[in-house]
Amino acid sequence: MEQNKKATIHPLSLLANQAYSVFSELGFEIAMGPELESEWYNFDVLNVPKDHPARDMQDTFWIKSKEGENKEDRKVLRTHTTNVTARAVEQAGKKGRLPCAFISVGKVFRNEATDATHEMQFFQIDGTMVGENISIADLKGVLSTFYKKILGDDVEVEFRPSFFPFTEPSIEVFAKWKGRWLEMMGAGMLHPNVIKNCGLDPKKVQGFAFGGGLERIAMIKWGIPDVRLFYQGDLRFNQF
Amino acid sequence: MKISYNWLKWYVPQIPEVDKLADIVTYHLAEVESMEKLEGGDVVLDIKILPNRAHDLLSHQGVARELASLLEIEFKNPEPLYKIPNSNPTNLKIKIDTDKCRRYAGRIIKNIKIGSSPAWVVEHLESIGQRSINNIVDATNTVMYDSGQPTHAFDLDKVDGGIIVRQARDGEQMTALDNKEVKLSAKDMVIADNTNILAIAGVKGGKSAEVDSNTKNIIIEVANFDPVSVRKTAQSANIQTDSKKRFENDLSPELVSYGMKELSGLIMEICPEAVFEDIVDEYPVKQEDRKLSFSLHKVSKVLGVDVTSEEMKSILDRYNIHFEEKEDGIIEINVPPMRLDFSMEEDIAEEVARIMGYDKIVPKLPKIDFKPQANDIFSKISWSREKLLNDGYSEVMTYVFRNKGDVEVLASASDKKFLRVNLSDGVKESLKLNQLNSPLLEMDEIKIFEIGTVFKKEGEEIHVCIADKKEVKEMSLEEFCKSMPETSPGTFFQVSSEKNIGENSKFKMWSLYPFIARDIAVWVPEIISSADVEKIIKENIGDMVVLGPKLFDEFKKDGKVSYAFKVIFQSYERTLSDEEINTIINKITEKLNSQSSWSVR
Repeated sequence: MEQNKKATIHPLSLLANQAYSVFSELGFEIAMGPELESEWYNFDVLNVPKDHPARDMQDTFWIKSKEGENKEDRKVLRTHTTNVTARAVEQAGKKGRLPCAFISVGKVFRNEATDATHEMQFFQIDGTMVGENISIADLKGVLSTFYKKILGDDVEVEFRPSFFPFTEPSIEVFAKWKGRWLEMMGAGMLHPNVIKNCGLDPKKVQGFAFGGGLERIAMIKWGIPDVRLFYQGDLRFNQF
Repeated sequence: MKISYNWLKWYVPQIPEVDKLADIVTYHLAEVESMEKLEGGDVVLDIKILPNRAHDLLSHQGVARELASLLEIEFKNPEPLYKIPNSNPTNLKIKIDTDKCRRYAGRIIKNIKIGSSPAWVVEHLESIGQRSINNIVDATNTVMYDSGQPTHAFDLDKVDGGIIVRQARDGEQMTALDNKEVKLSAKDMVIADNTNILAIAGVKGGKSAEVDSNTKNIIIEVANFDPVSVRKTAQSANIQTDSKKRFENDLSPELVSYGMKELSGLIMEICPEAVFEDIVDEYPVKQEDRKLSFSLHKVSKVLGVDVTSEEMKSILDRYNIHFEEKEDGIIEINVPPMRLDFSMEEDIAEEVARIMGYDKIVPKLPKIDFKPQANDIFSKISWSREKLLNDGYSEVMTYVFRNKGDVEVLASASDKKFLRVNLSDGVKESLKLNQLNSPLLEMDEIKIFEIGTVFKKEGEEIHVCIADKKEVKEMSLEEFCKSMPETSPGTFFQVSSEKNIGENSKFKMWSLYPFIARDIAVWVPEIISSADVEKIIKENIGDMVVLGPKLFDEFKKDGKVSYAFKVIFQSYERTLSDEEINTIINKITEKLNSQSSWSVR
């Protein structure tokens, strides 16, 4: 009569699936992309200045070049999944698939010392919608829907001023959950240079983009105390 | 930046009370990282000025002007009150010998007396965590935190000849004010005289012309330097200063005149007997006057809110931005010199949004004419995960960073510098860990899998790894999905659309101490239910149980029934000893045996 308990899914997969499902219902297409990325798609496309601190070795995992490799070909472990967003928008433009909307959840990497709230690897959820009239109001509608579906109907969402090289205007997204305002992700309207770098004409199209950590949502939603628990390979972690 | 509430109040007397102010700053300007009440009653707000406003807001006057415009309250302009000294002809020579210095204004002031600063200067500086040094150094610092323009003072009598702004020569050295030796190269811009380096431009002053207690005559420096050059020099010399922080964020060279005026006035106030000479102002390439045109339609379209011409004009008026209405809906502004962040229409959209408040933007759900297509890799990952879960395998995720591999990172905060070439190594470790914990997991066999990227010489690839007691198997996602049925074109692999999974669940952290598992089996008359036995066990088991008692075996023989329970003991505070668990088990055994015709096996 002894039985194996049902097989359990990793909480991040559960949450990613839920996110994919919400965004699919909102008309987004799922996009995927490489974890080892070129400097172009990780930084340049996104209007990150050449001397921006984010490009420093202290923050980013640069890959040791192979023998005979040009400096321009050097690779980086992607620091966000916005690279996927940029690639997807570029492809959509080439194929004449505009307006378009993409969502991706993937692993990203930051070179930093680990503690209860910092990991060298984590998941980011990243999305974009590009078209003639896509606005901040649309961004607010989409993100409000997302957080209500994922954290509960009573969740409120608000935007606060921020700055990122790849968006203008730039905002920080906060969600009110159990009476507290929590910082959830960065977002904004794609910078015209980003649109241009993706091969589109910023005079004709505009769009929003957003990105934030998946672990953070999981930690808030379920009260997980330490981000380092996600990658221990310990099945006691699969509680949902 | 640390901003003193009382200091702000000088310029905006109608400033809201501090809690309200913090809210206003948060929603219309930038994050307030902390608020600290000081003993004297002042409150210091640490405002995380955004990089695109670091040109004009790393100062009390900057923040005060912003608040005055934002809240439509009076800004008390201090400029007309600055004392203007009588000035004598000067022999000061300033030579700019590098294109990295955009402007350099200097002024000789003689007959000053080094001493302590007036109380209000000390109070201002101390409120934002700065130490008072002497009246002249304090004056230069006060001007920086007040207007945003870094300034410096040299002891005139220690300067050999005039001021030369130039690139350093490779191998040149300077002793900084903190006695640190700094090695310089041709990439670094310096302030020099005929013999010595007096300062690293925009970064740090040097010892050779330091103002000390015997200083009688000084040269004040109010200048503007190239931001990238300053940043790189500070980085290579590993020197962080508030001056460097401002220059690296790009200041308007126009601010130099203001800084000179404020600093001169302040020194005149502090040292009434000082004798001023004329300002020497080298300004080779004047900052261009810029105009920026934008359409109201575009601003409205970006925000998704109709911004009327009146609203727009009211904002421009409040911010003292001169504008001209061109053809329909097009407005051309004269960009204020300090607002280096204004360069395109979207910048105006952001300005309008933050001034109005993002709460004025009403959310709406966009409907676009876009037909999402299935993503092949995602479909395969989802199918694989579902299949493995159905087959009784549980999902794990392990670390990408390993001790060896084909692909190496250049620098890492950890000692694991390689990317994994397989999933198996991590999954094997996970299998072992979970096998040890199998009683806790209520699984008699541990079956796990991971789907993830591996990094080989040829490039990255997504793999699937499956492990159980028999074997650890790893293959590419493609190979694993050979048996995957074709999905009809244009349809998704269905993701679970249950709403808000685990909505009311709360994560329960496990104990980090070892557990002890025990079985308790007992013969009882047939009429006794397992629940009766369980009740007695529970009553005597204590509070160290993390799992059970759980019935795992039951059989009947000769009018009797045997029930077997599993119990797992574990503490959140310490390692339990076998002895203490034996004591508990003995107590339970005694209790069970004391029931008529029960016997523990």
